[in-house]
Amino acid sequence: MEKIYFDNCLTSKPAPEVIETITEFMKNKYYFPANFIATGTEAANNLAKAKKIVADSIGANSKEIHFTSGGTAANNLAIKGYLTANSNKGTHIICSVIDYPDLLTNAAFFEESGFDVTYLQADNDGFIDLEQLKESIREDTVLFMTTMVNHTVGTIQPLKEIREILDSSKHKIAMHIDACEAYARVPVNVDELGIDLMSISAHKIHGPQGIGALYQRKGIVLGQVQHGINRMDNLQTGGLNTASIAGFAKAIELAFSNLDENISQIRKLSTYLLNKIESTISDTLLNGPRGNKRASHNINISFDYIEGEAIMMMMEMNGVSISTGSACASQGLKPNYVLMALGRSHEQSHSSMKFTLSRYNTFQEIDYTVEKLAEVVKELRSRSPLCN
Amino acid sequence: MQYSQKVLDHFMKPHNIGKLEDPDAAATEGSPACGDQISIFLKIHPETHIIEDIKFQSYGCASNIATGSIITDMAMGKTIEEAKDITWKGAAEELDGLPAVKMHCSVLAVDTLKKAIKKYEIEHGLAEEEAFTKDTIIEELKKVIYPGVGEDIITLKMVKYVGFENGVAIVDVEIPKFDTHRDNVAEEIKEHLEVFKEIKEVKITL
Repeated sequence: MEKIYFDNCLTSKPAPEVIETITEFMKNKYYFPANFIATGTEAANNLAKAKKIVADSIGANSKEIHFTSGGTAANNLAIKGYLTANSNKGTHIICSVIDYPDLLTNAAFFEESGFDVTYLQADNDGFIDLEQLKESIREDTVLFMTTMVNHTVGTIQPLKEIREILDSSKHKIAMHIDACEAYARVPVNVDELGIDLMSISAHKIHGPQGIGALYQRKGIVLGQVQHGINRMDNLQTGGLNTASIAGFAKAIELAFSNLDENISQIRKLSTYLLNKIESTISDTLLNGPRGNKRASHNINISFDYIEGEAIMMMMEMNGVSISTGSACASQGLKPNYVLMALGRSHEQSHSSMKFTLSRYNTFQEIDYTVEKLAEVVKELRSRSPLCN
Repeated sequence: MQYSQKVLDHFMKPHNIGKLEDPDAAATEGSPACGDQISIFLKIHPETHIIEDIKFQSYGCASNIATGSIITDMAMGKTIEEAKDITWKGAAEELDGLPAVKMHCSVLAVDTLKKAIKKYEIEHGLAEEEAFTKDTIIEELKKVIYPGVGEDIITLKMVKYVGFENGVAIVDVEIPKFDTHRDNVAEEIKEHLEVFKEIKEVKITL
């Protein structure tokens, strides 16, 4: 039986068309952009085409797009680049306690370097506290950053309202958005949402690993973070991953050719999955909001009395990949910090399972998965001192 | 990091799983909040002190279940004196090894077995409650595993000072600030020491 994969936010299966594109580029189109020679001109054109595909997908201009080696590199370029270039305007940053580690580790780094950081709290569904945001804004606030779709529970942050709050300040506060989880899963238009900087990643949307992009609004100044040979501009130094860039562009074309339909289909799948789990297995708890304020691909659910790594391992034995918020499965042996911030107990965090769906999942896969999940939960509960 | 086939076998089909009705001794260690808990039940022959039956229940990960399974196999049919010689390292070896980050599961399983035996010994006049001293703390710290290498913090000489005065346990641990296991080690120390009724407060300096 083919593996059933529900961990698409860790990474996703490259689309066959993406693999074909990358193979073609690696075989025949591996050149770097250059003037006057045909190979170099073709490479420059392909790169320009890829930038336009990225830009069009978010309502931006090609000149506002930089390719990076992934989402983390884009986040670092945005945060470090912005703060190094703008620290003369202020040294106060605002983010939230449930943000993606890229943002939190950067915030901690700048805190160590003398910046002030306000970490906004979140409610039980994972929405950041907008009243606290209003109260946190200071004269020296230069950057607000957050994760558009929460990576653990799929909560979609109300960026329009956030932008309005930031704009009520008398001075400019830049907004950096980590959209790696949101991109191609919820509509993102940088102008409508007032986003200044935004990171996206290819491998979460059936593109290749190791490639991402940064959107930099025209007029937003970034300091140079990585020095080296200038092949594109001073923010993209070094060699270019031309094949992966082409693969990324192909993945975007595929995802955006019928985005609404894709999102609607994944919503049907995830609703079916949630309903089936809740009607088949007792003592469960959905983490994060119900309905349209949650990104369509994410279902995060806790199973009382048992521990998540054991569920994950047994499901793996049954050919199904899902992830867990259990401390046992984490590197630092800590419970998931997002779930803890949402007011979940340690036990609820340890027993949480995250399903992230893609357009390649099917209703048949969900039927099989829930059937096996029910067996696994029953077996582990029969072994647990907490329910015997 | 991967589990051995033996760990997976014991995880999928654990031996001696369940509860013994009317056991001669039982103990539960760990806590759901920490992500692992194990209960062990013993039937012990009153004259030979041979463990005639043993069962366990587990709330925990694959290695928690596998270590519970292997130590019940190892203890079954042994006298309580022999069973006391089972070590967490020996249990891990029986499983063809455990990932370093999972060694604490073996410690928990073996500790629970030893606690159950101790209760039996005290109830049957075979042993007395030990007086609580600074050495009790040091012995307990030998059960705190540094997940980076799967060895205890006393053997690794990470503990620089242990004190006990007026109900306050003081533990100084040397661990770099950037170490990803820093918080976990501190939590583990607290978790291990706070169960002693003699300790009112645990002060850890990292």
